[in-house]
Amino acid sequence: MSQQSPQAVREPSAAAFTPQPEPAPETYELSGVSKVYGSGSTEVRALDGIDLTIARGEFVAIIGASGSGKTTLLQLLGALDRASGGRTLLNGRDLQTLEERELTRLRRDTIGFVFQQFNLVPTLTAGGNIEAAIATTKQDGRQRAQRVAELLEIVGLAGRANHLPSQLSGGEQQRVAIARALANGPSVLLADEPTGNLDSATGDEILHELQRLVTDRGLTLVLITHDAKVASAALRTIRLRDGKIVEDSE
Amino acid sequence: MFFLKYVLAELRRRRGRTVLTALGLGVGVALVVMVNGLSTGLNNAQATVLKPLTGVGTDMSVTRPLKITTGGRGAFGSLSPTARKQLRSEVGGGPGLNFASAKAGSKIDTDTFRAAGDLTFSASELKQLASLKGVESVAGSLTLTDTHLSGTVPKIKIKQSQTSGGGPGGGGASFGPASGSFGGGSISTSSRTITGVDETKPALAAVTPSQLTKGSYFTTSGSAYQAIVANGYANSKSLSVGSKITIDGKTFHVIGVATSPLGGTASDIYVKLTTLQKLAGYGGQVDTAEVQATSAADVTAVSTAIKKDFKNASVTTAADLASRVSGSLTDAKNLSHKLGGALEIVGVIAAILIASLLMLSSVTRRVREIGTLKAIGWSRLQVVRQICGEALGVGVLGGVLGVLAGVIGIVVLNASGWTLKASVAGASTTAAQSGGPFGLGQAASSAITAGSTAVKITAAASVALIVLAVCLAIFGGLVAGAAASLRAARLRPAAALRTIE
Repeated sequence: MSQQSPQAVREPSAAAFTPQPEPAPETYELSGVSKVYGSGSTEVRALDGIDLTIARGEFVAIIGASGSGKTTLLQLLGALDRASGGRTLLNGRDLQTLEERELTRLRRDTIGFVFQQFNLVPTLTAGGNIEAAIATTKQDGRQRAQRVAELLEIVGLAGRANHLPSQLSGGEQQRVAIARALANGPSVLLADEPTGNLDSATGDEILHELQRLVTDRGLTLVLITHDAKVASAALRTIRLRDGKIVEDSE
Repeated sequence: MFFLKYVLAELRRRRGRTVLTALGLGVGVALVVMVNGLSTGLNNAQATVLKPLTGVGTDMSVTRPLKITTGGRGAFGSLSPTARKQLRSEVGGGPGLNFASAKAGSKIDTDTFRAAGDLTFSASELKQLASLKGVESVAGSLTLTDTHLSGTVPKIKIKQSQTSGGGPGGGGASFGPASGSFGGGSISTSSRTITGVDETKPALAAVTPSQLTKGSYFTTSGSAYQAIVANGYANSKSLSVGSKITIDGKTFHVIGVATSPLGGTASDIYVKLTTLQKLAGYGGQVDTAEVQATSAADVTAVSTAIKKDFKNASVTTAADLASRVSGSLTDAKNLSHKLGGALEIVGVIAAILIASLLMLSSVTRRVREIGTLKAIGWSRLQVVRQICGEALGVGVLGGVLGVLAGVIGIVVLNASGWTLKASVAGASTTAAQSGGPFGLGQAASSAITAGSTAVKITAAASVALIVLAVCLAIFGGLVAGAAASLRAARLRPAAALRTIE
């Protein structure tokens, strides 16, 4: 477990709308977590008895072969799915017991996602994609516009606000996705192979960008990767095999 | 507002899908607009056919037809003594031709007027009719058959038989319109129908100003010897406005040419009622009373009252006339009535189903996008609102496209000059179609004259219909949106993000 416990740097405008409970010392606490897909002869145990603690501000890389359960674990951490068994605490709150509405609020205010394929809405501009994340808060149009401009500035895409994803390079699209993930000032950033679809140089840029954010803002970053170079950038590496943690560099 | 921006971006940038879905709805809307417009056109066409006969729903035509049987004591044997007396008075009272008083070899040139078979109403009966509850206005008309005889009296002696029983010949024998020659002389006959109209009530008259194709209508202050001739008669006699015709030695000026109304009293010549009554010796009498009811709701009551108060009276209402209209117009209208509604419902349901399937297909292709939205904090409600907003936009577009297509269809249909045939079966109330002494029965009288006409169909789309069509499209869009968005909202974000596109 990392000994770092920096205070999360929340964006002032977003923090005003995302009241949080008193931060727990650990961001994530997983005990005996399992995830089973299907039943009977088609049953697949994607995760099996995961015990894991991730502290605030940690940069954790999860590695493993395809089918080892990396993405499933990330989805459970991101409150995108519910575990079949065990307990998953995020900032002291048990994700298993939260209602759908509370999970939605958690995803909006506490967690930011970065996907391998960027997952930008193709019909919205770069600015529109970032605004899509802020649109679910109670900020007015002017505040939203200001926030979008700030975020584009942060990821180095000022002036690209009106470009459609198809008019941006892969690296630029991933930067927009990072800006979107940061839109509501999350304390956790979950990234699923964020450099997987990028060339080596661009991948390096994105990785540095993420490292900078972790450092500057005190975010907890959990990143899935196949790339050893990317994994080596993390302070802690967790290896999964057949749904179990087989190595934790903590 | 981001929501609106996103909806518009989706509609604009996924243009193909938007237009395809909107077209699906538009087809249904266009079908509703066209079928409704056509139905309105057919209704209007039927109203046009009926209008010259009576004001739809408010007017009725009252006659007292003779009921003639061929058995018993001759053609008129079934008449009551009172009716026989009245008929004898009507027919016998006219200026008939009496060969008994004609000298062989002498020249004759005379007009004989005969009531065409209906028992006439007197002036006092018309007043009684007008005083009935629910009657707004009454106008009388008198239709007579004018038999013109000219030539030399043949050298034959005609033994004049005295009619008895049911025979109408009280004032001497008279010839009907059939022509023939006798011995050394020759007599030619011709007949024409003349209707006297109450020019003070043109809207209820047997010929109305709207029927005029040339010239002008009667004026109350104008000459008593004005005439309006029917198109057909004018053509056969080469008459036009300004021509002169002679009736019983009097010269009439043709002031107008009129079309013959389908099913109504179709006379060759129309003159002022008082003039005809005077010429024919039918002072104060009419054979048809056109009655206007105070309101459409009074028609049935007035009709019943007339039948009760006036023995042998026959009342023909607009509904009676409508039931006698047949031909392709009626076939089309029946088809429209029976199938039009079903076609519209099927069209709308099909359109909504098509739109729903297209929306579902669209949402299926956007599962990953929806999963991403959920991952960044969108609630189910926000996803539903987004998809429904897009569907609403598609619905509005579909409505506009459908209305445009429907209106264009109507314009094309109207431009094609589509015409249908409307026929009216005659209601022959005087059954003696042949024979009959001196023409009685040859000109069978009827409340409704048989005929047919071609009616141009002008389909019409009302503003209310257009609004309804757009509302239908929006409703269809919302149904489609609801179906698609509920599916999208149920998706778990993790499952949605696993989807491979």
